[in-house]
Amino acid sequence: MIHIPPYLLKGDTIGLICPAGFMAIEKTEACQNILKKWGFKVQLGKTVGNQYHYFSGKDVDRLADLQDMLDNPSINAILCARGGYGTSRIIDQVNWKAFQKHPKWIIGYSDVTVLHCHLYQKLKFASIHAPMAGAFTDGENKYILSVKKAITGKSLSYNIENHPFNRTGEAIGPLLGGNLSLLAHLTGTPSMPSLKGAILFMEDIGEYLYNIDRMLLQLDRAGKLKDLAGLIIGGFTDNKDTVTPIGKTAYELIADRISGYDFPVAFDFPVSHETNNVALRTGMHHTLKVGKKQAILTGEP
Amino acid sequence: MMQRRSFLQRLGPLGISLAAAPGLVAFTNEPAAKRGPNPPYLKPGDYIGITCPAGTIDQKEARYAEVMLGRWGYKTKLGQTIGKNWNQFAGTDEERAADFQRLLDDPMVKAILFGRGGYGTMRMMDLVNWDMFKKNPKWLVGYSDITAFHCHVNRNFGIPTIHARMAGSFGTMEDESEISLRDTLSGKPQVYHWKAQPLNRQGMGEGILVGGNLSLIYAMQAGPSELDTTGKILFIEDVSEYKYTVDRMLMNLKRSGKLSKLAGLIIGGFTAIKEEEEGFFTISMNEIIFEKVREYGFPVAFGFPAGHQRPNLALKFGMPFKFNVTEADCVLAEPEGFNPLMPINFGHDTITVPIDSLPPRL
Repeated sequence: MIHIPPYLLKGDTIGLICPAGFMAIEKTEACQNILKKWGFKVQLGKTVGNQYHYFSGKDVDRLADLQDMLDNPSINAILCARGGYGTSRIIDQVNWKAFQKHPKWIIGYSDVTVLHCHLYQKLKFASIHAPMAGAFTDGENKYILSVKKAITGKSLSYNIENHPFNRTGEAIGPLLGGNLSLLAHLTGTPSMPSLKGAILFMEDIGEYLYNIDRMLLQLDRAGKLKDLAGLIIGGFTDNKDTVTPIGKTAYELIADRISGYDFPVAFDFPVSHETNNVALRTGMHHTLKVGKKQAILTGEP
Repeated sequence: MMQRRSFLQRLGPLGISLAAAPGLVAFTNEPAAKRGPNPPYLKPGDYIGITCPAGTIDQKEARYAEVMLGRWGYKTKLGQTIGKNWNQFAGTDEERAADFQRLLDDPMVKAILFGRGGYGTMRMMDLVNWDMFKKNPKWLVGYSDITAFHCHVNRNFGIPTIHARMAGSFGTMEDESEISLRDTLSGKPQVYHWKAQPLNRQGMGEGILVGGNLSLIYAMQAGPSELDTTGKILFIEDVSEYKYTVDRMLMNLKRSGKLSKLAGLIIGGFTAIKEEEEGFFTISMNEIIFEKVREYGFPVAFGFPAGHQRPNLALKFGMPFKFNVTEADCVLAEPEGFNPLMPINFGHDTITVPIDSLPPRL
């Protein structure tokens, strides 16, 4: 049974934090303005605009900021302003007691995959995989508007054009996933869900193709792919290749790796490090229908 | 940006004893370590097979290795993956597995020296049938991507393997790397001394030596080849990674409990570190590594001469070693093999270790 934090109402407060890489306050302004336009108050954490080399603060400072936002009863949701790397360096020190009593939505993607998986596996809470502060500078496009739908408890439904690698079928199960590098990073740790019966989605950016293949193989050999209910493949952008090419695209490598299974698969889904990145309520039950002409993912509040 | 294979192209009771000595980590809950039979050491006239489970080598590179092995008194059997190309692999997964299988099942072949690393061993590894090998083990020799085999064989069969330079980088020169492999294949016990490094942690440990390339140890996590590190001396090395990637891989090992119960940690080369655009870490790679084990008590030694570098000294994984780190130096030695009258010479860091600083016979 998954716990669902209360959806947001006008007047609620969204806390902004940087649990990993640093971000200048100016870069969060568009995000703040849009959230306010939607009727929410915004509270900035101490890590927003703070910098400790690459990070938004030392581990202790990033942890304290996350902890304060989790423990503060007047904060109704936490939006991670950016990812990068660093969430897993603090995850094991977080105290979830106040959060469990007064749960709230945690929003973000990329490095925030660590929080999504941990919340589902260890605490059985839903969270939101969605664009972060930087993406709001593009204005209220349909991807940004999907964040509003997700946090206010609307039905989410995404219709995607057919891709030649798709495998038809229907899957119902908890929606889990995120960034492939982070899923590999969590494999073997207490934060990694079993993925049995789940609809898994994944995306990545800037990886070597051989490394994408190796991470998929790692997940497969760890038993994370064989019992999936369904699979959703988002963007694999800015891939790098070796001097002697691997000879396949990222999508071909993925299609090869899952060719022995029969769950439905939808490629080219709008979840990525690019503009096309829709909000997804991870941990909650979704229905994936992959037909001959289109694929549809739906999630009720 | 160099990746493992392109970098290589450029370069040319076994278990744990308890001891009461101060600084020695004792392991009381160590389960009986799974130990298989040791492969027999090689005798002159024995055959060594050469095959490529990942990237390929050409006939000329194989020829250099054959000449070198011939000088050591061994005959060679070349696999069909030598000179074969299929994208970045030495043949399809099935072809590379079949080539390895032939040499694995050939009773004449007493050791298999891999051509090179790159990427691909874990793509073909699950196609291998290990039945013959389990009954009649032979030495498997390689590093980097071959760490997939080291982990798999250690975890599932407890049969020792050799972490060492591979055929593709033998060339015509015989340096300490090749000599250490030659000595290891012939059964000479391994005894290594090297100079202390600033972040070392002093102490003494004893256990089965395991490890290899960090990226591959990481890629084995939670799968059927996952390394069991409890009570073990862990060796790690890596090449052309970002500091944050190394941090992320080590965080994975730490969070999955792979670092808390070591008997010791030995760090080899972390070479060709990639520059990060945003300067993730101002601390050094050694500090990033030490940070992950700071809270534990086992000995830690940096700077062991093995990895994607010269020299790349041979290490026997899956066999018991004694490990001692003092203020001045580090010693890694097979328990029964130490002879203080025969100091091993390698590299510029070679020193002769006084007898009283060597690990005592336990």
